[in-house]
Amino acid sequence: MSSIDEAQRSATEAIASPGDWLTGAQRIAAWRETRAADTNELDQERRRALSPNAVSGSHAGTAELSAPAMEVVHRTASDPGRLTRSWAAEQIAAIGEETYTELIGVTAIVTVIDRFQRAMGRPELPLPTPAAGEPTQVRPDDVGDIGAWVSQTVGPTAANVSRTLSLVPVTNQAWRQLVDTHYSHGAEFMNMQWDFPLSRPQAELVATRSTALNECFY
Amino acid sequence: MSGEANGLHIDLEGALDADHIGDVGVPASAELLAFTNAVELGRGDIDQTRAALAAAIGAEATTEAAAIIAIFNGLVRVADGTGIQLDDGVFTASITDRESLDINRFAGAANSADLQPAPTMPTAVHQLFG
Repeated sequence: MSSIDEAQRSATEAIASPGDWLTGAQRIAAWRETRAADTNELDQERRRALSPNAVSGSHAGTAELSAPAMEVVHRTASDPGRLTRSWAAEQIAAIGEETYTELIGVTAIVTVIDRFQRAMGRPELPLPTPAAGEPTQVRPDDVGDIGAWVSQTVGPTAANVSRTLSLVPVTNQAWRQLVDTHYSHGAEFMNMQWDFPLSRPQAELVATRSTALNECFY
Repeated sequence: MSGEANGLHIDLEGALDADHIGDVGVPASAELLAFTNAVELGRGDIDQTRAALAAAIGAEATTEAAAIIAIFNGLVRVADGTGIQLDDGVFTASITDRESLDINRFAGAANSADLQPAPTMPTAVHQLFG
């Protein structure tokens, strides 16, 4: 099994386990909704609209996810490039910044897993069975306002993107392991002439086109 | 940055133009861009473009390309979902490129609207390397 496949297996297991503020069942529900966003009528109508705010309608809550939680997952999955601070503030007021951040992280992780399978021409993985147990409910002491929409680790860092999920350490651990195996390769990240089958310029070209198609400013 | 370090002259405009599938100064550019577009846009040509890419750069590198596409679909979601700002150095070094490449039109630009350029920093990425 390649390191990428192994990382995907490990991330799948992590998503099925209790997280920071969400249970395993809630995290798997978020995975299900992330997939549903691909064909959900409201999500697709918003994507086609000049502004997503021009489309009326809302996502109903489920047994596992409240309506605001559904909104976070569906919008992040289907139209991440047009999220705004005021939209985020509305969701955070309803579910709290910790749960908001964990939902963003779970949506990102399962998107990586599903997108890799799709790119490799493989069928979607079956959703795993959620593990029993309770979330850790630990808010780190070293987080604060650094100008983002949610609290993140304060103090010097290599890049802001490396601390996006620092408010939710359980989810962050699974996320950073995916980033390391799929892209940054530990200390090799600083090497502009790394020795991997895909050269550094080739990797950056794919990254550039992918982020442009997702209209990501960062 | 990695292009200059590898002695390549990269056509950034072509790399960012979703309609452009061709050489942008990186080996196997056309195949890499076609595969990336196929996965991102879902037009039903993933298998075909992946096979063409594998023929150009090999199966292992193709798997790595798939992993890069996948992880950047996650990275854009954590970056845009948490509203992070550009890092100070990047903000200043990319002023010229962001304007010329029309990147400031993306909604996420609002998150960095209150940042100010550092007066002693270069204002174009290539100036970072002298």
